Amino acid sequence: MTVKIEVIEGGIPHDQLMIAGLVGSLVCLYLTYLNTVTGSQYFVVFGGLAAVCALVWGSNTIKVLCSYGIGTGVPSAGMLALGSGVLAMLLATRFGLAAPIVAVVLAAVIGLILGFLANNVLMMKIPVMIRSITEMAVIGALSLMGFSAMASGSFDFAGMSSKSGPFLGIVQYGYADSYMGITIIAVVFFLAAIAIQHPFNATLGPSWKQDRMLWLAAECGFLSMAAVAVMSFAFLSFNAACVSLAISIILWAYTYSQYITLSKRDAAFWLDAKPIREPEGH
Amino acid sequence: MTVTPKPAGGVGMDWTSMGIGILIMIAIIGGAYIMFGATSVFYALIGIIVGGALIGFGVHFVPVGGAPAAMGQAPGIATGVAMLAGGAGLAGLFGGAWAAAMVPSPGIWVVCMAGAVGGALMMAITCMFVNVIYVYAMGIPAASGKVKTDPITGDTQTEYKSQGTEGHGLPFVSFVGGVIGGFLGGLGGTLIYYMLLENVYTDKALSDALGASALANVTPIAVSLAGMFAIGLFLVNAVLAAYNITGTIEGPHDPKFARWPRAVVATAVASAVCGIVAIGIVAV
Repeated sequence: MTVKIEVIEGGIPHDQLMIAGLVGSLVCLYLTYLNTVTGSQYFVVFGGLAAVCALVWGSNTIKVLCSYGIGTGVPSAGMLALGSGVLAMLLATRFGLAAPIVAVVLAAVIGLILGFLANNVLMMKIPVMIRSITEMAVIGALSLMGFSAMASGSFDFAGMSSKSGPFLGIVQYGYADSYMGITIIAVVFFLAAIAIQHPFNATLGPSWKQDRMLWLAAECGFLSMAAVAVMSFAFLSFNAACVSLAISIILWAYTYSQYITLSKRDAAFWLDAKPIREPEGH
Repeated sequence: MTVTPKPAGGVGMDWTSMGIGILIMIAIIGGAYIMFGATSVFYALIGIIVGGALIGFGVHFVPVGGAPAAMGQAPGIATGVAMLAGGAGLAGLFGGAWAAAMVPSPGIWVVCMAGAVGGALMMAITCMFVNVIYVYAMGIPAASGKVKTDPITGDTQTEYKSQGTEGHGLPFVSFVGGVIGGFLGGLGGTLIYYMLLENVYTDKALSDALGASALANVTPIAVSLAGMFAIGLFLVNAVLAAYNITGTIEGPHDPKFARWPRAVVATAVASAVCGIVAIGIVAV
């Protein structure tokens, strides 16, 4: 029943990736708090980096879980991760400065219960199920919080729900045109979901290599990050949004070239297609 | 290498685990009753649990074919459970949210039915065009592999089934199952949305949570929060039900359909856990 159908050979051990992803994500999330400390908005880019850290970790978690053949397709795992993550993340934003830590703890509790339900009540009986779903809820919460902090400039509920700006010379607080008010979080939700489920879905198979999947995960993360940076123009100063956009595009280009290099390495044969030449004198 | 020994599942039940799950749910309901009393917030939690269980039950009706269906080797719609249930549920949610925003409010039944019809319509359109593509583009007839005759129309199936397949296309009973599944999914999703919007994220509760003045318009935040929590809860419940099905199901006539009691318990417990989190955002 629980036959492991793909072997994980070599590469970075999953525990190391998990610790690196968790710590990296939390550190980057707290670096966005420098916005409040320094009064600038340039540190939002760390929110995107926090999300990418979590997504890279998440792609390997999906690999660990889906190597057991759960029968419902890889995307379902990503949807479960983000679905449970968004609940924990939104409640955690109410805790101010402790939000990232609360998000991790709360998501772990929700994930633990969901993992228990899937593994025992629904009788999936997969050895890594509980741990993987717990991890994925945390990943979902962290990636959503990272992207939300990047788009809105804050990981605080009040900060996400209000947009302060001078209107007719008076500083006003608007709720309707804030990050939460126009539900940008729904777009971010699916941007993160695509980034978490795509890497393993695209690289699985007999020639699966961990480094190729991780570079693809980073590439997907930075692509989503660029989209979030475009949306952040609505909530942040023009310069800050430009900086995040430039950084995400540069990092995307770098990770994309790395991924193409590794794809060429793992491919049996690589042929660069040329445009069809028009025959002369027709 | 990638042979797919899927988890077999079966229709048995793990009573101990189920008991633990139900205990968690009762503890959460009891805790909510102690915290809030028999207020609208408490009824919202009950509504969320009922909505979640409806989603978990409804997913079992949807004919999910997955990759084999795309190759014409199994009946059903050629995609995964999470995608199909997500599509039907979100379509239903849009319908329900549109009805909930009407002034004056048409009441819970109209809102929930608008959501249910939205989900059912989405599934009906999907099922119809899936069959159009199967019949006119792939050139395969609809034939169930699990039953000899269609339980509704009585049409024989085995003559039309190709050798080496588990059936193909979308038989009538699967079509009906898809519409029922979309109806229940849309109903459950909209119930969750409406409960959160009307009972939990009221203007007063949300203004207090945001520290906003009483005059500020916080309705967009309430709609956004209720919508996001409804989507999150919907995806959690749909994926849990999908894990119960483990892959493909033909509809209500499939032997796997008998597994639904497990999914209803699991989704009810999951909805209780997620529902208390959704309520917590205005309570902490």
